[in-house]
Amino acid sequence: MKVAYIFATQRHNISYVLAKMILPQLEENRHGVDVVGMFFFEDNNYVLVDGNPIGARLAKVAKEKGMLLMGCDQCCYEREIADKLFAGVPIGCFPDLYKALSGNMPDQVITL
Amino acid sequence: MDDDCSMACCGVTQRRNVSDLFDRGLRRSRQAPLAIQGETHRDANGFTASFSLAAHGGVLGKIGFKASTCVTLVAYCELIAELTAGQDIAQAARLSPSDLVAELPNVPALKRDRAPLAIAAFRDALAAASTLSNQSTQGEHYEGRLHLRHAAP
Repeated sequence: MKVAYIFATQRHNISYVLAKMILPQLEENRHGVDVVGMFFFEDNNYVLVDGNPIGARLAKVAKEKGMLLMGCDQCCYEREIADKLFAGVPIGCFPDLYKALSGNMPDQVITL
Repeated sequence: MDDDCSMACCGVTQRRNVSDLFDRGLRRSRQAPLAIQGETHRDANGFTASFSLAAHGGVLGKIGFKASTCVTLVAYCELIAELTAGQDIAQAARLSPSDLVAELPNVPALKRDRAPLAIAAFRDALAAASTLSNQSTQGEHYEGRLHLRHAAP
């Protein structure tokens, strides 16, 4: 099964759910499903800023597995980080996300 | 923009970045079109933009626009409106996509293709304003609109 994750809520979401659950499982090839994409809202976008240690691991996994990473464009502009993300990580809105995923559509979209 | 700000940011100097331009642009784009209207332009991504103007004696007054709800596109359209208000038509027509890109350097390269769309739509409205202005003084065969449509990139 193929899934996409949308990181919509904040607090412990990136530092715990992503960094200590999903990401290690992806790194160890034992997540159980193919993750085809991740989309980030609000402060969750800071993980995509070039140099973020969690983001660096995530970008590496994404590159290895052909996984889409995308930040919400409005969220990134508001935080003035739109031009500071890891190389190759685009910003966009829902039409951009759907277009980017259209070649590798997930079976489930999971909002976290 | 022309209308008083009713947001919590009152008293704070307006910033010219994408996020703030988008907020102001959304408010502007909800206003009724002005008397002089350009045609709607559409790009390869399916985004659309159109401008409307008020002009007196060849000088731009109020500027309005409608655009697809893309943050970058709305910000570029609002930037055009803020930069050119009060300019004469010929001066405004010299504003180029590269000027917009330079003004907002943190827009990622993949999003900069919204600038030509915004400028093309704006120039169309300028051409309509120019035509109206010159028809009244030079008759119906004035061709200035053609030059504005093909202004330098």
